Amino acid sequence: MTQTILDTIVSAETPEGIAIELRPAGLCSRCYAYLLDQLIRLGVLYAVAIATSLMGGFGLGLSLILLFGLEWFYPVVFELSRSGATPGKRVFGIKVVMDSGLPVTPAASITRNLLRVADFLPMLYGFGILSTLLRRDFKRLGDITAGTLVVYEPPRAPKIAFDELEPLAPVQPLQPQQQAAVVALAARSSRLTPERLDELSALAGWASGDAGRSGREVTRRVLAVAQWLLGKR
Amino acid sequence: MTPLQFEAQYRDEWEELQSALDTLRSGKRRADAEVEGERIASLYRRACEQLALARARAYPAYLVGRLNQLTADAHQLIYQHRDYGLGPLKRLVAFEFPRAVRAHKRYVQLSAAVFLLPMLVLGVLVYARPELILSVVDPMTAASFQEMYSESGEALGRLRGAGTDWAMFGFYIRNNIGIGFQCFASGLFAGLGSLFFLAFNGAFIGAVAGFLTAQGLSTSFYSFVVTHTPFELTAIVLCGASGLRIGHAIVSPGRHRRRDALVIAGRESIVLVYGATGMLLVAAAIEAFWSSGRWLPLPLKYSVAACCWVAVFGYLWRQGRHAG
Repeated sequence: MTQTILDTIVSAETPEGIAIELRPAGLCSRCYAYLLDQLIRLGVLYAVAIATSLMGGFGLGLSLILLFGLEWFYPVVFELSRSGATPGKRVFGIKVVMDSGLPVTPAASITRNLLRVADFLPMLYGFGILSTLLRRDFKRLGDITAGTLVVYEPPRAPKIAFDELEPLAPVQPLQPQQQAAVVALAARSSRLTPERLDELSALAGWASGDAGRSGREVTRRVLAVAQWLLGKR
Repeated sequence: MTPLQFEAQYRDEWEELQSALDTLRSGKRRADAEVEGERIASLYRRACEQLALARARAYPAYLVGRLNQLTADAHQLIYQHRDYGLGPLKRLVAFEFPRAVRAHKRYVQLSAAVFLLPMLVLGVLVYARPELILSVVDPMTAASFQEMYSESGEALGRLRGAGTDWAMFGFYIRNNIGIGFQCFASGLFAGLGSLFFLAFNGAFIGAVAGFLTAQGLSTSFYSFVVTHTPFELTAIVLCGASGLRIGHAIVSPGRHRRRDALVIAGRESIVLVYGATGMLLVAAAIEAFWSSGRWLPLPLKYSVAACCWVAVFGYLWRQGRHAG
């Protein structure tokens, strides 16, 4: 796996020597999450300000302290919870983790959120956006310093549906990579249009002895080979 | 072994691990007791082996994906460290914070110099020529400062009708801790931001002090600021010092990659910000509930203030030398 792949996946190695794949979240989903969080903060602040306005000076002090807490520590509190994400981030399926893929530590969470000030400059998160756009792992300045990463919650890969097809042995012994290619094609078959599936299957015709041919029948035979490779005999 | 055989052989283990993880993540205290740590650890290690096998044998994506997800989840739970709560807070106060201050001595000295020099220069200048205050603030603000410390006000250090002690407490927390955080965060720009905010705030405070002294309001002004100053100004200097540490890591990363140097500097200097935040909270409480009281006799105020000065510097200088 030494060739460069056009991908943003970051792999973090565990002490067991396993590489865990993390998918950094890009600018858009982070912006949406931020805006949603802003709305939530505004709502909370508004509600509390109304409630405390009846309490005079004490209420004013309370709402100022709340404003301070919301400004600086709203993300920290949620990032340190079990989900590792603010409500906004949770809605858009992203969360904050350490570079190692572990849950974010208190020090890192506080660091990345205090450094928002630097990301915000010169205006409207200018430096943060610039840093996000320039980096392969989409870190803003606070993330770089804290050693954190905003990643997508991984979606579960769809399972392959095997039903009607009778498994078919490949006409020649296939290399591991060829086997993987055929099985991967089968895994994607339900998400492709029939025409595209036919085109791609034609490229894998060597597996079922249909090299150079194409059509619905070839597709069926290639998918049948995939089932044989998966272990249906 | 075909992927289907592989899956059939290990499916039970995966499901057991998955359900244990789900129980733990549900967050209920009672659930934690039901799950056996040793069993999870061994299931996790086996899942890691199986993931490595599945990858090496180029098994289909859904299988590798499932194992990847399972090991990632377990990894998160097994290796997490929750270092917050009362114990770590006690450690922070007892030795980590004062030790971090001493470890960053050079940065603290530079930060203090950048903060205090403009303060002294502006203080002396404005004392000599009070009209210079207008180069820092507009006439309205200057007049309001005068009113805050005049003999007639109801409480020191605030405008008439500005609010109760509690309102001012909230204001000081939001304003002063915000300034501290700003001094820290802007250090990310090669330290220049920290230098700017330190010098700016120092100059501003100096100018106001010089102006009020020249107006003959020194008794009420200094009796107001003297008690919370050791906490407040020291904390600002410490925030600036942590910003300078980060900036220094960018300018001169030493034997690390610039990126690693930055992470290390962030991790070590954030301790200063923790401590400074605590000091600013103390300062806000003193400023709101004690400093502003006109009814307190001056000798009492000054003796409490002397104790505070000694306590703050004694703490930063000696605390935690031998513990831990």
